[in-house]
Amino acid sequence: MNNNDNFKEKDYHISLFKPTTKLAKFNKNLIIGLFSIWAIAIFGFQIVLRVIEEPTPEAAFLNYEEVWGQVKNNEASVQEKQVFVQSVLSVLGKVTVATSDRVFLSSAVNNITMQLVPQNEEQVFLSKIKAFREVNYGEENYQSLKKDLGYTAAKYIGVPDYSLEAKLIPLELKAAESSQLNIKKIEMIMPKYLIHNQSVLTDTIFLGFPFHYFYTAVFLLILFVGLCLFYCIATDRKMLELGIED
Amino acid sequence: MKKIIFTIFILFPGFLFAASSTELEGGFKLGPALILLTILVLFILVGIIFRAKDTNDFFAAGRKISKVGSGMAIASNWMSAASFLGMAALMYGSGYHGLAYVIGWTGGYVLLLILMAGQIRKYGKYTAADFIGDRYYSKGLRITGAIVAILISIAYCVGQFGGIGLLFKWILGIEYSLAVVIGGSVVLTYTLISGMLGVTKNMQIQYVIIIISFLIPLFLLTYKFDYFWLLPQIGYGSVVSDIVTGIPAPEVAGMLNSFGNDFAISPSPEYAMPWDPSSGKTFFQFMAISFSLMVGTAGLPHVIQRFYVVPKVRDARWSVVWGLFFISILYWSAPVYSALGTILSASPEVGKLSKDAIVVYTAQLGNINPLVVGLLAAGGVSAAFSTVSGLLVAGASAFSHDLYVKVINPNCSPKKQLLMARIATVLMAIIVSLIALLKLALIGQLVAVAFSLAGCTIFPLFLLGIWWSGSNKKGAIAGLLVGGGISLIAIIYFIATKFGLILPAQDFVNYWLGAWYFAWIGAPLAIIANIVVSYFTEETPLAIRKFLVEEVHS
Repeated sequence: MNNNDNFKEKDYHISLFKPTTKLAKFNKNLIIGLFSIWAIAIFGFQIVLRVIEEPTPEAAFLNYEEVWGQVKNNEASVQEKQVFVQSVLSVLGKVTVATSDRVFLSSAVNNITMQLVPQNEEQVFLSKIKAFREVNYGEENYQSLKKDLGYTAAKYIGVPDYSLEAKLIPLELKAAESSQLNIKKIEMIMPKYLIHNQSVLTDTIFLGFPFHYFYTAVFLLILFVGLCLFYCIATDRKMLELGIED
Repeated sequence: MKKIIFTIFILFPGFLFAASSTELEGGFKLGPALILLTILVLFILVGIIFRAKDTNDFFAAGRKISKVGSGMAIASNWMSAASFLGMAALMYGSGYHGLAYVIGWTGGYVLLLILMAGQIRKYGKYTAADFIGDRYYSKGLRITGAIVAILISIAYCVGQFGGIGLLFKWILGIEYSLAVVIGGSVVLTYTLISGMLGVTKNMQIQYVIIIISFLIPLFLLTYKFDYFWLLPQIGYGSVVSDIVTGIPAPEVAGMLNSFGNDFAISPSPEYAMPWDPSSGKTFFQFMAISFSLMVGTAGLPHVIQRFYVVPKVRDARWSVVWGLFFISILYWSAPVYSALGTILSASPEVGKLSKDAIVVYTAQLGNINPLVVGLLAAGGVSAAFSTVSGLLVAGASAFSHDLYVKVINPNCSPKKQLLMARIATVLMAIIVSLIALLKLALIGQLVAVAFSLAGCTIFPLFLLGIWWSGSNKKGAIAGLLVGGGISLIAIIYFIATKFGLILPAQDFVNYWLGAWYFAWIGAPLAIIANIVVSYFTEETPLAIRKFLVEEVHS
């Protein structure tokens, strides 16, 4: 026991908030200070992020919204149909798309793309889809069939033949289980993938990162190490000051 | 120059690698298998050289470990399959939400340090149950503490065995079930041979292997795909921004993944935006997971136990700083795999990937030299091994030391105690293997269950036991009942849902008491119950209060 601490039996109590030894008093202030920084830095930031966020649509969603009314009522022009297919493909290009959602999106792409094919080219286009469906990845003519179908489809949906959409559409036409346009499902799926919680903290770029991502993934860990370092240095100094040795 | 480097180190065909570039799983891979075998032989040799000679060695490594060495052991013990594989998997699957695990698994160390590390070492007990039994002057609580410690070790190990199974499956090209059995047997043999002294030495070597194997592919990948490769942990910021804004396909074929797809992706802000609707995760879940993992970190018996192995109290404190720094190197790096993996697997041609193996798949999709991928996989096995061995020792200690010696047979010889520890290790490994075969969830999620369990049970007992002498036996029992009860409800609902059973208010309970974050409410309620009951019951005995004042806080 530290010589400066003079205890009677009834004084043998320890409480973080009512410290009875010099070391405990020092610990109380240090712990409360570091704990407050820790809690505010972690949870305070996420709360701010939550408070200031706004549902923000992607460009693809705005395009989709613009043409969806006409598409679902079967009144869309060629250009509107092309915009719709491009919007759906931008969702299908995401890694996070659930298989259950992908089924409806692929079918929608199949449905509207077929509407974009001129009647005199329909049979040829269908035969290209059929041929591509019959080959598996890795087989000899897989890449050439995919490329051919992609180039042809790119022309119909109005995208460059080297674009992501052109590379994606053969796979979706191959995967499509039907050519139905499930209006309810599309209206549920599109906003789910194309509207995000954004704010000034997510839109500001810092060291290449969206700021909030940098803060959480990189900075907080630096802060944790810093807090621990500070605690150890401060405790070592206090121990020396109080003449306490291990 | 770049071409030469890539010809030698990256594009050089893997003559020892049986899997084709378009087949991520493939068959038996000789190169990675040889690397793994070499590492395992090294571990076992180190284990034999530094094997436990008596119980003091087995449980606490003879208290001969330096603070930096202990920091490396803490990091190695901590950097499990959940850190090595699971964290990238969580971010790959649910974007920003996965960062809740990153901050949860690191932020808890601040709590552990400022609230417990030095004091636990000063208290001077071998195991968590030792502390609980002594501080709360109760044999019953010691037994309960030991049982809870064993349950936590088992829950934690399940995720690790899952990771071991996944990597043995990848390396050996065998079925997952067989891989779990083989991998489990190897890690068991190794733990039995070495004990904690060997384990602690091994953990330092394992840390080096884990971190090197994890970082090398990152430098190669960021270099190859033209990001700031000198410090990939910062350089990947541009990868994240590229995912958000999208990378258009180039007019002329450029960088490709191993499937021949362009290094391109549709705009995907959902990867980085908080609690995105497409992830199905909410703000509440983010906060609850972070909090639960933090309090769980400060309550994990095998983590707390590491503070017993340092010679001085000061070393216990500094070992946390070193440990956290070493851990953070991996935690700063794991999101890089997830980000690059997201772009490299963007084409539907890649197919649905097992999220838990995304670290290895990312290296494969990036066309990294197969031997480097093999080293990465072997590093993953090391990560799981280092944690499992620590967990099995913690669980075995709880059984042999806290249950057998202190309760069942107090007069047993040290030899018999060691034998009981080894029997307990074998039994735990068998139980864990059986549960791991069920594949109940992602590795990271399975491990998070153990954290919540620790947060609801051990954490309140340690927190109040150290910082409030008023907390007494009855308060501790009340807290354990509340924390344990909440844990039980959450785990029952989780298992019932997994097996398709219907229980009342299932959706409500599964959301608010999710299996990976039930400590958000369990821990505070257990603390409140402990305080309230302690206030209204008899005072803590003078001897304990005196010990706290004179030995722990002076």
